[in-house]
Amino acid sequence: MRNVWLMFISLLAAGFCISLVFAQDSERNRFFVQQMIDLAAAGNQQGVQTMQRMLEQNSRPTALDPAAANASVQWGQAALQQDRLDEALKAFQQAVQDDSGHVEAFNHLGLLYRKLNRFIDAERALQQALSLEPTRAGAWFQLAQIYGLQNDQRRAVGALANTYLYAQNPMKAEEILRYIAEDEAVDALRNAALETLHLYHLPAQPAIVPPLAPNPALFK
Amino acid sequence: MRVLLKILALAIALALRPAVAGQYETFDYHVQQMIIHALAGDMASVQTFHELLGSLRQPEPGDLQQARSFSQQGQENLGRGNLKSALSAFRQAFIADPADPDIAGSLALTYLRLNRPREAERLAVYALSLAPAQATHWLTLGEIYGQLGDAQRATGALINAYQFAQDQPRMAAQLRQLATTHETDKVRIGALQALRAISATTASPGASNNPGETGRPVQAPLPDPQPGEIVRTEGSSTESPRQKVYRHAIPLTCLIVTFQNGKTANLGSGLLVSTDGLVMTNSHVIEKAENLAVRCGDQESRAEVRRRSKTPDLALLATSLKTRDSLVLNETYNRDLVGLDVFVIGNPYGLEGTFSTGIISGLREIDGVRYIQISAPISPGNSGGPVLLRDGTVIGIATLGSKVGQNLNFAIAAAEIVNSRFFDPKRMKSGRLNGKPRVD
Repeated sequence: MRNVWLMFISLLAAGFCISLVFAQDSERNRFFVQQMIDLAAAGNQQGVQTMQRMLEQNSRPTALDPAAANASVQWGQAALQQDRLDEALKAFQQAVQDDSGHVEAFNHLGLLYRKLNRFIDAERALQQALSLEPTRAGAWFQLAQIYGLQNDQRRAVGALANTYLYAQNPMKAEEILRYIAEDEAVDALRNAALETLHLYHLPAQPAIVPPLAPNPALFK
Repeated sequence: MRVLLKILALAIALALRPAVAGQYETFDYHVQQMIIHALAGDMASVQTFHELLGSLRQPEPGDLQQARSFSQQGQENLGRGNLKSALSAFRQAFIADPADPDIAGSLALTYLRLNRPREAERLAVYALSLAPAQATHWLTLGEIYGQLGDAQRATGALINAYQFAQDQPRMAAQLRQLATTHETDKVRIGALQALRAISATTASPGASNNPGETGRPVQAPLPDPQPGEIVRTEGSSTESPRQKVYRHAIPLTCLIVTFQNGKTANLGSGLLVSTDGLVMTNSHVIEKAENLAVRCGDQESRAEVRRRSKTPDLALLATSLKTRDSLVLNETYNRDLVGLDVFVIGNPYGLEGTFSTGIISGLREIDGVRYIQISAPISPGNSGGPVLLRDGTVIGIATLGSKVGQNLNFAIAAAEIVNSRFFDPKRMKSGRLNGKPRVD
């Protein structure tokens, strides 16, 4: 009986230690992602790339059931296309449980949380995606939008700068930045896009009269 | 031996490339080499760099269907001269499919028409990276360099436009048109030099007797209106007096945006009271503003406060806008006004250019300021906008609304402005009821 208790306690302790290590890993990765944002906002591309390499040295978490994770991602994508957001959310949550290294699933989860205005959850999911694949421009762009919507212009600049840095087609990214800098109604995001263009010495013409936000008083 | 020299030249050129170059810099390097060699008359090297540019990795195609739809919108807007709408449409088309050289080229051309040559240059170079032998992109690039004040590079780009043109006589005609009619000196010089360079290498630079090859768009005759069809043209006699008031006043009514800490703080309305950009509004609209911007009709400008007072609640802003017309302040203030129709234009809750009607319900003096009481609706964002009579003159400036009751709204009487330090008779116009000018 005593042995059973000892075994139970040691298993509990081991589980606690493992979760602590994972939590530390996750916090450390978030720290690196934040560092990439700060360094990018300061125009330090070398620093950004150093942090990128540190993240890339991490070993990928072992997937519990990669096939199930892929199936859940497909299910989630289909639900997302048909605007069945709750169903899509369940699918992507299941996918990251089955494979905690599934970048696509974390990226979609971030997109979905943003659609649901759950910005903190969205930020965490995207940070997780970026810690797994720090050169994923799409995730940086999503993250920039979240910071912009939260009025955090500095971090929006950093995330947009990384979007441009890692963009597969920099000219497309440049044009997206100009589009935001001129046509985005959210001040923080519009200003962040303009600042990012300046950071990379790209031509831009700020809007004199900014676009007006949709009227909140309108109803159907 | 010549081949060996060419390879050597290419090797040197490649060695001189910056060690670390971005994607755009790589495209630009090849395009610049093609320009330099065109200027030197070395078309073999132009061809070599053309081939090198064509061999670079091409971007992945995007959503072709969506891109085409936006591109069509862009072409329609470009044709109608709606450059901002064209820019927005071509941008969306480009974002949807960055691999289409025609879309990239159209975006470059739109930037050029909007007098944004730096953006235009980047897009034209990018378009050439996708289609290095596309003569129209070279033509656009030549015009861009001319606008940037670089006649030399304009010449090189325009030589390439001619060399790569499938219809060289037509391109020569286009170059002649640029050389004679373009408003920018350096574009004209570039086109002229390109024509000289071409004529030095060819017997005839595409002289054409074909009237369809003049480079000018062929205008199809407009069909006659069908019987019973309502013809709506500017100033049409089918317009109601209200429509005439609206058409007259809308380009002279302004949206005013205030900024604090770089962020949008408040929205209001205003009116152009002089042809050199003086905008009248309420003082409360610009309260605590660190920066101001105005949009009157299609024009935008930053603004500075020239005068302001709390009582009456007025502010006069100076902008860089130049217009052919300005609104006339009607200095009438007597009982004859009561019962007249009034028209209010403004931006309630940011709904730009909202037009509404009512009547003059009374004349009121509040805290020593003369007001016109009106039944036309006023909401936040209308403040500072014009209240007009049927003749298009401004009888007041929308200022207050009563929180109790219905349709109890107030405008500072224009008479109050005309008799104040805000009125500058040298720059602003005033009139009286039933006097000139009239809209209809």
